[in-house]
Amino acid sequence: MKTPIPHIVAKDVVKTVQLTESELTILQDIHLTINQGATVAIVGASGSGKSTLLGILAGLDQASSGEVYLAGQPLHQLSEDQRAELRARSVGFVFQSFLLLPSLTALENVTLPAELAGMPDARVRGLELLAQVGLSHRADFFPNQMSGGEQQRVAIARAFITKPAVLFADEPSANLDSATGEKIEDLLFELNEQQGTTLILVTHNHELAQRCQYRYLMHAGHLAAEQPKATEDKRHVG
Amino acid sequence: MWGKIAWRLFWRELSRGELWVIAFSLFLAVLTVVSLSGITESVRSALFQRSANFVAADLILRSSVAFNEQVQQQADQLELQSARQVQFNSMVFAKDLMQLVSIKAVSAEYPLRGQLKLSSSVADPTKTASLQQGQLYLENRLFSLLNIKVGDSIELGEKEFIAAGVIVEEPDAPLSVFGSSPRILMQLEDVNATGIIQPGSRISYRLMFAGAQQQLGLLETQTKELLGPQDRWQKMDRESAIGGALDRSERFLLLSGLLGIVLAACAAAVAANRYSQRHARSVAVMKALGATTSLSRKIYGSHLLFVVIFSVGFGLIAGQLLVLLSQWGVAFWMPEYLAEFSVRPLALGMLTAAICALLFSARPLWRLAAVPALNVLREKPDQVKFDVVHLASGSVAIWLLMWLFSGDIWISSWLFALCLLFAALLMGFAALLVRIAKPMTAGQSSALKLALANLRRRLWPNAFQLITFSLALFLSLLLYFLRSELLDQWQQQVPQGAPNQFLVNLTDQDKTALQQLAKAHQLRLTEFYPMVSGRVLAVNGENFADEATKEKPEQRQGVGRELNLTWLNHLPDNNKLESGQWFSTDTKAEVSVESQLAERLQLKLGDQLQFSVGGQLFEAKISSIRKVDWNSLQPNFYMVLSPDLMQGFPATYITAFYLDMSEQELLNQIVRQFPTVSLISVDTILKQVNDIIAQVSVALTFILLLVFASAVLVLVAQVQATLEQREQELAILRTLGAKSTFLKAALLYEFAALGALAGLFATLLAEVLLAAVQQQFFDLPYSPHWNLWWLGPVTGVVLVTTLGAWQVRGLLKMSGSTLLRRALQN
Ligand SMILES: Nc1ncnc2c1ncn2[C@@H]1O[C@H](COP(=O)(O)OP(=O)(O)OP(=O)(O)O)[C@@H](O)[C@H]1O
Ligand SMILES: [Mg+2]
Repeated sequence: MKTPIPHIVAKDVVKTVQLTESELTILQDIHLTINQGATVAIVGASGSGKSTLLGILAGLDQASSGEVYLAGQPLHQLSEDQRAELRARSVGFVFQSFLLLPSLTALENVTLPAELAGMPDARVRGLELLAQVGLSHRADFFPNQMSGGEQQRVAIARAFITKPAVLFADEPSANLDSATGEKIEDLLFELNEQQGTTLILVTHNHELAQRCQYRYLMHAGHLAAEQPKATEDKRHVG
Repeated sequence: MWGKIAWRLFWRELSRGELWVIAFSLFLAVLTVVSLSGITESVRSALFQRSANFVAADLILRSSVAFNEQVQQQADQLELQSARQVQFNSMVFAKDLMQLVSIKAVSAEYPLRGQLKLSSSVADPTKTASLQQGQLYLENRLFSLLNIKVGDSIELGEKEFIAAGVIVEEPDAPLSVFGSSPRILMQLEDVNATGIIQPGSRISYRLMFAGAQQQLGLLETQTKELLGPQDRWQKMDRESAIGGALDRSERFLLLSGLLGIVLAACAAAVAANRYSQRHARSVAVMKALGATTSLSRKIYGSHLLFVVIFSVGFGLIAGQLLVLLSQWGVAFWMPEYLAEFSVRPLALGMLTAAICALLFSARPLWRLAAVPALNVLREKPDQVKFDVVHLASGSVAIWLLMWLFSGDIWISSWLFALCLLFAALLMGFAALLVRIAKPMTAGQSSALKLALANLRRRLWPNAFQLITFSLALFLSLLLYFLRSELLDQWQQQVPQGAPNQFLVNLTDQDKTALQQLAKAHQLRLTEFYPMVSGRVLAVNGENFADEATKEKPEQRQGVGRELNLTWLNHLPDNNKLESGQWFSTDTKAEVSVESQLAERLQLKLGDQLQFSVGGQLFEAKISSIRKVDWNSLQPNFYMVLSPDLMQGFPATYITAFYLDMSEQELLNQIVRQFPTVSLISVDTILKQVNDIIAQVSVALTFILLLVFASAVLVLVAQVQATLEQREQELAILRTLGAKSTFLKAALLYEFAALGALAGLFATLLAEVLLAAVQQQFFDLPYSPHWNLWWLGPVTGVVLVTTLGAWQVRGLLKMSGSTLLRRALQN
């Protein structure tokens, strides 16, 4: 067993938002350490703060207080543009509602992050990834010409094109039927394993959570770890 | 790198509507500005060239003392062409006959503009001749008045001259319909020998200049200091029918052009707003994937830039083409017209596009790039907040444009305040109506209920839509009605069959003979106005100064020349009493004064004027002030005396009639039969006025089309802006089981209601503004425009419903499941 390298660290993270009259605390006392290459699931009731936490860990949003480190970088000290650059280099996303750009083709959607990060050979890599998710024949289709499952596969290809160190997925299969959803999940874990990406999943789906090495439960802004039982679970699902 | 992404996105976006709306709006704005200012400029320069022909120069400096040699030097430095002339009245003698004449002595360069035609034969005007030293050319009637023929000698002052021929055509002959003394043309060099010019003589010195517009302008500004109180630039005759028509058309063209531009700019703003709303998600995604705010700004800013380049390019080209077309048209009715290329319209067009793009469209795109990346995690993106900055920048832009076009900060601010007031009024009305609509819906069919519920639910977006719809309709209606009113006005000034031939200097015998001739040829003579020349010497016992002097500038300056006086029982048709009372049958020794003259001479009711007619002095009290319509081609008089005053004076008469172009032969007969009568034909002036009216009416129709196109564009942009939301609502309603026919009816009702309201508001506003225009510009009493009251609301309903239905047709055709899928994807 190799020694795990801390890849994502959250210390004392608090998130509050100012409402017109009062202050609302969405996240409280979040402590979290995630090692490189780990798969992590965050579960919890609707409105418990899962997406908010994801946003903060991914550098989309900033915590009201506390420290967050991503791939060795102190997110809480970076400017918005620096965080954008960090995301371009090291972070991939898969969203519940796919969020492909409607005016770009499948291939163009896949290559977009690579182009934004200024990577060469975006097109070749894009075609490879499309082949990997089984959509070579849809390269020139626009999002509205594809089914939901196909769109999400394109989104996965897009997430991996920059070979990100961390992949964040917010309810990746929630908008799909269970069979399609499962295929999407398989793909996610497969690519994750291939590239050694750290995977952080937000989900309602317990079966999906069971496939991850670590599970955290979000409850009213508090985060609690469940016991890691990676080996057992893999057998259960497998 | 970002360029590639930007270009790709831009290219794909072209198939959606908004960029086209922005592009087309900007295109329309540029086209409007370039063509309007270009066409007005061409027409103006054509008229300038034409009126230059009338005064035989581009610019004239009149002086009562001597030629201003300093101005002449300045003009020489500017390399302007110049000529000189001196005008004065004197007696000429031929054997035992004498006659008061009006003499014009000219330098060899005369005329700088237009044509001088002289003939060596009284009977044959084609025997062309030129003015030589020692010669006089005479107006036709002088030959019979003095009983001489060509080649005879006549005396002028101390010198004898040869009567060498007749003046056939003189470019700067007085346009006035009043009889003046018979005219004589001579060389400037001969004037000294006559010995007529003595200190104190009443003489008009004229320096005439011609050249490029810019040089002429420079001359005027550079010589400001050099002018004495006796020097005066002669402006183009603004009181003529032509000048008046041009002034009005220019103001009107610019105003209406501006309306179209503001409409187009609003359409662009709405489209840009929707564009940025629709792309908010994409920007959030791109930013989540690592794009910075400034990168997004570049990507979307470049879209606006592409559109601007495209629209400005095509707008400039199309506008310039229209200008060329109009110049070609002008050259058609004015063959001597020299078309000039001007960059000013093009520059104005680009400036307008820049203002529209920066202040109307850039703001939404700027905000778009600021969408937070975090939005990718939100199921429903933030409701777009009302953008105060955008509203403010748009308002500033409108004001700037108004300023740019009116060139008058006061007018633009006033207009702008008026617009704000309208907007506020509309907003209040809309809010009120939508609220009132609620109880009204009880008991209505449910489709109507749904429509009204929809209207109410989106109260503020709808109020904004209502405002833009109303404004769009209002401007179209306003222009439509103003256009016909303006044309009516002009046509009334020069009605079909208006007198085009004037006979001046008729004696009592001529009068009866002419009446017989008129009867025989079925001519309709206007009334005979009696006329004598006289001077006003004093007011309330205080003599007028002949000239304003530097020592006593406050002293009132007299008329300085002879006036034609008449006496009448009744007020002429085209005169209006401003104050005082018209003469009654037993009025004694009263006079009615024209209002502008009264103002210039500081005369008021009750003042006692002293007149001199033929050396006889008499007094009259001012009993009324009249306003005279100088645009009417009718005999007009500054001073009208009460009939009792003029009984003793030998008067001549003036009358007029209409003669068709085809009956020119009759004119020759009249000239032969009445050799001492001057015949003045205003046919050419009338024709010009009619030509201008025709030109302007074409231009107005064109502007009407432009404004209407802009209005349609605004409607399209507005409906487009709500499409997304409508799609979602339709999806939900469909899922809840609403039938598509029901939804269709509800949508149509909604548009129809919006259209009806907008039409009603537009009608109200248009009526108010038309009433104001009627009174301010046309001096007409208010009369309601009945047609407006059905045309406005009907246009509103038909236009908004048709355009709305046309745009949502796709949505209505979609099946419920497609709608749902699309709604969920958004
Ligand atoms: N900007 C904000 N202003 C106010 N409230 C907010 C804001 N952002 C999040 N919230 C609130 O914080 C809570 C947590 O939101 P979050 O989106 O993180 O929940 P979630 O666990 O992802 O829920 P779901 O499973 O439904 O996606 C919610 O109640 C939400 O309404
Ligand atoms: Mg969530």
